[in-house]
Amino acid sequence: MHLHKYEKIWLVFGLGSLALFLLIIGFAAFWKGTHPQSHIETIDPQNVEAHESFKPENLGLREVADGKYIVNIVASAFNYDIGSDDAGKPVKTIRVPKGSTVLFQVTTKDVVHGFQVAGTNVNMMVEPGHISRLETVMKNAGEFTVVCNEYCGIGHHQMFATVEVYDE
Amino acid sequence: MAKDKLRHQTTKNDDTSIDLKGTFISVMLLGIFILVLWFGIYALFLSR
Repeated sequence: MHLHKYEKIWLVFGLGSLALFLLIIGFAAFWKGTHPQSHIETIDPQNVEAHESFKPENLGLREVADGKYIVNIVASAFNYDIGSDDAGKPVKTIRVPKGSTVLFQVTTKDVVHGFQVAGTNVNMMVEPGHISRLETVMKNAGEFTVVCNEYCGIGHHQMFATVEVYDE
Repeated sequence: MAKDKLRHQTTKNDDTSIDLKGTFISVMLLGIFILVLWFGIYALFLSR
């Protein structure tokens, strides 16, 4: 088979990019452990309180080690339950110092919700029956809005919270 | 005589004589665009 000189060049270019991107996927999946956020543990969506992480008193931000935090959140239409403060008022803002490692653990009681901390790499689906986990390092200071990015019903747009990353 | 004419025609249709310069440039521009876009988004991912 005879190929035009230019044809050979762009075929090599195309196959080369294909190989490059496949290698990157393989590297991300097998070396870096990138995976869907909800593949590890299942939960009964009708009884999320039975799970240690989602008991009402365990919701919200907790410092587990120096600079390491866990945030437990129960999403439901149309709210993120991040626990309540000492006065019994629902928490809407999570405050962590810059550079801290934060593990978000989110589940839902009803329908599929989204959990995106806009302006960061935290972005995952929250599906009933699954626990979605994502660990991230909060590199940049600022105020980031948590939004639901999976349409969940009539009050979808009212579903939000705030993550505040402050300079120490 | 007729055979000669036929052979002459096939040589003329040989793809080496097709000018693919424009195609080549547009394919490469598209490829470069995709690569630049990909690395740009990757840089955004790393910086956040």
